Amino acid sequence: MGEADLAVTANPLQRIPGVAIVLLLLIAVFGVLAPGFVSAANIANVLVQSTLLLMLSLPMTLIIMTEGLDLSMGAVLTLTSLMVAIVSVATGSMVLGFAAAVAVGLAFGIANGCLIAVLGIPPFVATLGTLGVAQGLALIVSDGQSVVGIPQSVSEIYSATLLGVPVPIVLAVLAFLIFHGLLYHTRFGTYVFALGGNREALTYAGLSPTRLLIGVYALGGAMAGVAGLLMTARMNAGHPTAGLGFEFDAIAAVAVGGTSFERGNGWLGGAALGVLAVGVLRNGLNLMALPSSIQVASVGALVIFALFFDGLRSRS
Amino acid sequence: MTDLTKQVFAPRALISGDLLQVFYRLIAALLICLALTFLSESFLTLANVLNVLRQASLLFFIASGLTLVVLTAGLDLSVGANVALSACLAGTVIHQTGSPVLGVFVALATGAVIGLLNGLMVTALRIPSFIATYGMLWVLHGLTYWYMAGEIIHGFPAGFRQIGSGYLFGLPIPVYLMLIFLGIGTMFAQRTTWGQEIYAIGANPVAARLSGIPLSRRLLLVYAVSGTMAGLASIIFLARLNSAEADVGESLTLPAIAAVLIGGTSLFGGVGTVFGTFVGALILTLVLNGMNLLSVNASWQPLVTGVIVILAVWLDKATRRGE
Amino acid sequence: MSVRETIYASLTVLAAVAISTAARADGETIAVFTKNQTNPYFQAVRVGADAAAKALNAKTLHYIPTKPDSIPEQLSQVEDVVVKKTDAIVFIPVDYKAMVPSVEKINAAKIPVVNVTDRSAGGKFVSFVGADDYSLGLETARYLFKKLGGKGNVVIIEGVKGSLTSIDRVRGFNDALKENPGVKLLASQPGNYQRLQALQVMENLMQSHRQIDGVLAANDAMAMGVIEALEGANRTADVTGINGTKEAVDAVKAGKLLATGDYNGFLQGCVGTMIAIRSLRNEPVLPEIVLKPTVVTKANSQPYETPIESRACPAWDEASKLGRN
Repeated sequence: MGEADLAVTANPLQRIPGVAIVLLLLIAVFGVLAPGFVSAANIANVLVQSTLLLMLSLPMTLIIMTEGLDLSMGAVLTLTSLMVAIVSVATGSMVLGFAAAVAVGLAFGIANGCLIAVLGIPPFVATLGTLGVAQGLALIVSDGQSVVGIPQSVSEIYSATLLGVPVPIVLAVLAFLIFHGLLYHTRFGTYVFALGGNREALTYAGLSPTRLLIGVYALGGAMAGVAGLLMTARMNAGHPTAGLGFEFDAIAAVAVGGTSFERGNGWLGGAALGVLAVGVLRNGLNLMALPSSIQVASVGALVIFALFFDGLRSRS
Repeated sequence: MTDLTKQVFAPRALISGDLLQVFYRLIAALLICLALTFLSESFLTLANVLNVLRQASLLFFIASGLTLVVLTAGLDLSVGANVALSACLAGTVIHQTGSPVLGVFVALATGAVIGLLNGLMVTALRIPSFIATYGMLWVLHGLTYWYMAGEIIHGFPAGFRQIGSGYLFGLPIPVYLMLIFLGIGTMFAQRTTWGQEIYAIGANPVAARLSGIPLSRRLLLVYAVSGTMAGLASIIFLARLNSAEADVGESLTLPAIAAVLIGGTSLFGGVGTVFGTFVGALILTLVLNGMNLLSVNASWQPLVTGVIVILAVWLDKATRRGE
Repeated sequence: MSVRETIYASLTVLAAVAISTAARADGETIAVFTKNQTNPYFQAVRVGADAAAKALNAKTLHYIPTKPDSIPEQLSQVEDVVVKKTDAIVFIPVDYKAMVPSVEKINAAKIPVVNVTDRSAGGKFVSFVGADDYSLGLETARYLFKKLGGKGNVVIIEGVKGSLTSIDRVRGFNDALKENPGVKLLASQPGNYQRLQALQVMENLMQSHRQIDGVLAANDAMAMGVIEALEGANRTADVTGINGTKEAVDAVKAGKLLATGDYNGFLQGCVGTMIAIRSLRNEPVLPEIVLKPTVVTKANSQPYETPIESRACPAWDEASKLGRN
């Protein structure tokens, strides 16, 4: 759903994306029922808690637009988070730790891209495989234990503020703007759309879909590296299982946000709203102190409902 | 795109590309066995072989139903959670009524209902199977956690437990069940019209619908079968572990999908066999068994599994390139 | 004193008592953090916490990650509770090292917090209530080796790699081994605290080792899995677990399980919550209560058979003496 599509439909209700309606509903309900939901501190919390998922959902949107999937993101995130921890502890430098994380993330991203674009292995399988490799490496380099003693320069990333705004939020907004610009205002962006809907056109134009595809997955890997820094800063530690499962959350957020698995369309704004919806849901339920089993079931219900709602509107 | 007519109307030959792929995989499994026999003296004992077969059967029950779903280019991520809920409900019934038969029925029924709900979400609500079954997974977990409230149901009648741990003429009972369902699954997929229609739907849904195949009904069927097989798996779990907990079967969802993929079934649909899934389950179990026998550090297990998945699918592509 | 002075004095005392009791019968909210919804140990902790709160006229709110043992989720839940500002917190960290920044956040918000079960690697706590995993492992292993007469072959089934409880319990097992040179350790493999995994690991171990006399399992779920594996292969061995769950106690009574180390979740939950409430009411507490290691065997299993829902929380005088000092 590019920006243009929103204007075409006749019914005004159809112009508002399903995820936005869901998000507004959640905010309304929790505003009334959850104590402390509407406070500045809580809003800041929800936004900051969502930054990690946003960092992963942005590249995941692009990947899904190319009719692909990256199941390894959570495991790669775990590994890069460990790299930040191990390298920054060994060298005392946050910058070196960050560089190591991005390097490892890029390596996995490129590996994913090669497996998929060069060897022709389906994305689900290829990234399932690299998930195992990343998870295994995370266990091996950490020997199953948390890595602590992180220099303060790292944890400050999470707690510091820039003009009163928490740094993670600044980074998230920056990342969103960069991806938005990349997707909608550069040629690379048009190529990504083409990778999803019209791959032949790229070859006719003399471009290499292979290299572009590798680029898209490499982007995912690099963002996993950035997210790794944030995660280690947040925990003030590296842990071998901390990030596992994030990829499913990211995929769900992207799908909830309106990006389709089949067509080559994608909506970054939707992915961001999807991330917020999940974050608001969790936060609201925590504040209401509802039993955890209800929290678990609601996440599933949210995902199903959002897509059902979208399906309804696109058919009428 | 391949020729429409050839896809939909040609009967599947007995010696097809699929069968060749399965053959290659069988060779791979045998090579692994050979390597393990050489590396560990305890591998080729009767007891260990039976163990491997029994461990593989747990994986196979879940993966076999899943194969049908993947053949239609779909996915069922809720199978693990399905096993958990079915096991917990069935366990309660066996405890309350003392009747294993009733328990079995409840397990299969729960699995089937969950499968049908998945199918309805995919066909009637038009939700992509990845998301629908992912959402279902969370809902099922929530239900199971709430229902079990952190407790464990344990202690089932000895006769019932034979299903999981008993032997018949020297073979573990789950292995018999595995072979039976392998036969049923293969017959269904290769020899019945419904089976052929499922392949057609996966290969080219538009052509399938145009040629009169009732898409929604067949899709409902495959999801229901996947759910029912998860229900069946839960019975074996109950019998083998002699208990039911909220996270039973959790750890087998991704390995089940891996077994289907290693077995040669394609995520794009239309390609693959139940027998391939059987071999895929065997290969995964052999590798784990080998790592245990050789006392390999447990941290290496996910890595090795990941590499095998990639290798298997890559080999698949490489050998199919001629077709 | 004159009559008037006595009356004034009594009225003042009465007023003071009235005010202080009104302040005390407050219905404080205690946020209780546990690791997951599936492990019965944590359910026992939650039931214990609820029992203590009910007896002392306070309220508990439970925070459990939706993804079992998820560090990011517990981090978020702590942040949400700090915003919500419950009166006190009872805290089991999902990871004893990675949750330290969360504890520091709680400290910064000036919410009193009690550490239960897994001893956190940092942060300020009102108290720590837990069992000593190392001693439990040691005592349980000693019991097994005594039963074996000081000689035989044993295997260890470890817990989750990297978890504090597993590390300490296995350390206890190994130290007991050092005390008993006639006992031979054949293998030490992780079972991830999972029943099925322990079952399959044991099945595979039984292939490589013809004679296994004893099995030290780091928790009860794994011990039960080991027993299923043994029964399935028609072999016998003495198996011990740790946790003291109802299932394990039943198995001990039935003679299938040799013994289980009592990791009394109910008691830890209720004493921890009691301490949290008492500290809010400015009543004296202890900085640490480490429960004495108890091995539950056929001989002493009776008191452990009561289901946790029917158990009562001991009064403070009794509870304060439960520590090893």
